[in-house]
Amino acid sequence: MLRKMLLLLLLGVMIFVTGCWNRRELNDLAIAVGMGIDKQDKQYKVSMQVVVPGEIAAKKGRGASPVTLYSAVGDSVFEAIRKMTTNSPRKIYISHLRILILGEALAREGIGKSLEFLTRDNEARSDFYIAVSKGLMAEDILKVLTSLDAIPANMLYNALETSQKAWAPTTSVTLDELIKDITSEGKHPVLTGIFINGEPQMGNSNKNVQMVDSSAQLQYTSLAVFRGDKLVGWLNEKESKGYNYIRDKVTSTAGVIPCPKGGELTLEIIRSKTKVKGSVIKGKPHIDIEVRSRANVDEVECQIDLTKTKTIAQLESLGDARVKELIDEVIHTVKKEYKADIFGFGDAIRRSNPKFWKKAKGRWDQYFVDLDVTVKVDGQIHQLGTVSNSFLERIRE
Amino acid sequence: MEHNNNTPEEAKEQQPSEPSTQQAASDTKEPIAADLQQNINTVKQALGNSDDIVVREIRIGKVGNVKAAIFYTDGLTGSQALADFVMESLLMDMKNTELDQMISFGQDVLNVLKERALTVGGVKEVADFDVLFHSLLSGDAILLFEGHTQGFAIGVREWNQRSVTEPATETIVRGPRESFTENIRTNTALIRRKIKDRNLWLETRTIGRVTQTDVSIMYIKGIASDNVIDEVRQRLDRIDIDGILESGYIEEFIQDETYTPFPTIYNTERPDVVAADLLEGRVAILVDGTPFVLTAPAMFTQFFQAAEDYYQRADVSSLLRVLRFFSFFIALFGSSTYIAITTFHQEMLPTALLISLAAQREGVPFPAIIEALMMETALEILREASVRMPRAVGQAVSILGTLVIGTAAVEAGIVSAAMVIVISITAISSFIFPAPNMSIAVRLIRFPMMVLAASFGLYGMIAGFIALVLHLCSLRSFGIPYTSPLAPYNANDQEDTIFRLPHWRMRTRPRLISQQNVTREQPSTNPRSRT
Repeated sequence: MLRKMLLLLLLGVMIFVTGCWNRRELNDLAIAVGMGIDKQDKQYKVSMQVVVPGEIAAKKGRGASPVTLYSAVGDSVFEAIRKMTTNSPRKIYISHLRILILGEALAREGIGKSLEFLTRDNEARSDFYIAVSKGLMAEDILKVLTSLDAIPANMLYNALETSQKAWAPTTSVTLDELIKDITSEGKHPVLTGIFINGEPQMGNSNKNVQMVDSSAQLQYTSLAVFRGDKLVGWLNEKESKGYNYIRDKVTSTAGVIPCPKGGELTLEIIRSKTKVKGSVIKGKPHIDIEVRSRANVDEVECQIDLTKTKTIAQLESLGDARVKELIDEVIHTVKKEYKADIFGFGDAIRRSNPKFWKKAKGRWDQYFVDLDVTVKVDGQIHQLGTVSNSFLERIRE
Repeated sequence: MEHNNNTPEEAKEQQPSEPSTQQAASDTKEPIAADLQQNINTVKQALGNSDDIVVREIRIGKVGNVKAAIFYTDGLTGSQALADFVMESLLMDMKNTELDQMISFGQDVLNVLKERALTVGGVKEVADFDVLFHSLLSGDAILLFEGHTQGFAIGVREWNQRSVTEPATETIVRGPRESFTENIRTNTALIRRKIKDRNLWLETRTIGRVTQTDVSIMYIKGIASDNVIDEVRQRLDRIDIDGILESGYIEEFIQDETYTPFPTIYNTERPDVVAADLLEGRVAILVDGTPFVLTAPAMFTQFFQAAEDYYQRADVSSLLRVLRFFSFFIALFGSSTYIAITTFHQEMLPTALLISLAAQREGVPFPAIIEALMMETALEILREASVRMPRAVGQAVSILGTLVIGTAAVEAGIVSAAMVIVISITAISSFIFPAPNMSIAVRLIRFPMMVLAASFGLYGMIAGFIALVLHLCSLRSFGIPYTSPLAPYNANDQEDTIFRLPHWRMRTRPRLISQQNVTREQPSTNPRSRT
């Protein structure tokens, strides 16, 4: 009995003397949702967008900003983050990071070193998205307040996700994907760009969200091309869309095609599937791209008789031509200007012909420039919407 | 049946404790003297001249030459029955009959009276004062005669008692609405009304040196396991205590394991539940003076089975039973999971939820564990107060409770709204069990779980859960594993464990409880087997 009691006592003591290792109350956390990394001289300037929970709460709140920004300069990212405790009452908690913004200046010098901390730290997860601030400091992006979603980082996360799903020229990249692309020999990374539409200084205050038309708005733009971990240039919107077609990242988008008799017609791509196949023909690498897509007619601004199967076939081939054009264009630009295989063609060759890849991988970028690419697009139009022929036909002039 | 006495046997409430103590002290068997006056004096003296003991001296026989005395306890004896069946028989009906003659002329008075005069069912012979006092204080009328060392205990017990009412603790929507009362004879009758088989056997013994409480074992011979019956008998016979006031006394003496929050003996105030348990081969233990009847052996899963499960459609019952098991886990781990996740594993929450929870906790001055313990304590106080307090102030307490705990505490920023939600849900979940003693067990375990969660996070909770399962598996109830039929697993008994299959599928009794006569029904009862 005595021994049992002693054992119980010991167990009880064990519970209470642990000091509750790693125990943190919710209100001891500074929940970082956005993180920006910039280069300042030779050092990193890290900015953290931290949620102010009291302002998010349903009832209370002083009408202050729902997020606050802490930034610090340090020789390493981690040092800078820890330095933030000098002006933050709570320790920064980065598990719930939603978006990482890399400054363009940093990106041009190389992003690799700044990412190492995020892959190593046990608190960091790799489910946040990464974007590059176009022509601005990353810090500036994190200073802009947004309207519909009170937490800007959340808005950035959701906007990137929805725009990739419904619009296509943007692409959501997570940390592990980015690291894989940086280290891969057969693919160079891309990141979506972000910029401030309007006056950057205006975004910093609650006034920005009190207006119907915010004077500073965060907006995603087209893709940034990297060679290795260094940013080498930007694609335009059409090229970005072409890139996403090749990478099979198009879920749904809008495509405007010319009508046979003049005017325009818009297709809604509802499904798209791309297959990239590599092959080596007579010692030369070759890539076949095959796009299969499904579309609905969503807007008709021309004279056309949609009730005829022939017209639909005609529209299908017009749509195919447009997709092919997008793809050809982006390949052409990237080959010519950036000479970096962002499409993963190298990976396709490696998969189909590892022997050739072994020889070629050292000089793949040269191969890439002269790469033969065949594009085949097979689109189908399935539905015409709720009306068949447009009422525009019946307008009396 | 040894106890041929068909009248109510005993009620203990009105027994004055003083004479009983004396009686208990003088435990030697003192025989009844031949001298009537001496006997009267002995009784009066032994009972301290208690006012409720009535002694009536009479003379019977043709010439009144047989002196006799009638003793009874006022309030425990039916005065009508006494007048009609004893007094009238002895004093009036015998007049001018041959019986009169027989008594007067020295025939065997005792036998003549017993066999031919007393018009009452229960007449026992009394030879010593131990039996005399026990019978007298149980409500029998005692009849002693001058010159005889034997007398009669005449069963005319009758006292005020509560009638059979609706059960207060185990309420149901569909099913019988009667519950046991404080009178053991009423209770056995309620069970016999449900089971009319001749194999329903009843054994009674008196436990408690001072209270002399009747404790009965009831079982169906041929279904209940003989080992279990023997074990129950042995354990009951081991009890040596001055008083048994409720079946809880018995439960604590005969249960297998004391150091466990889990009940290993089932108790109920519903005759239909006892009948069902008897049919499954369990043994019922009835204690005089309480409406709560014990049944053993009890299984863990039994505490999740409500009587109504068997009266409703099988699918509905199964759903409700799954719900009860689900609530068991909520009641056990709800608050501790919340504590563990919000203080150790914040990365497990979706971002939006984390921010919302953090917003609610903003300005709360206590750590989550203190917050939770405060709320739990307040809730337990409320619960206990609402059980204990007089009905009249009930409303005041419930209004104060809801206002103070629900609203004011949150608005004052002392506890977070999320915590109130979590604690409320866990609390409500713990009230879902049909057996209130299981819900007490769950509430008890919740506290160490919360401390574990606050010290080690989910890791501590899992450790606690493993310890809990090991403990449950180590329990036995009268030799039957407590967690059966889950562990040891018995596929056949799953028909009435987590799900309740239709009655025509439950063809056998629980395997471990009854080894003999296991078939409950023939295959032809399956409605689908009829073509």
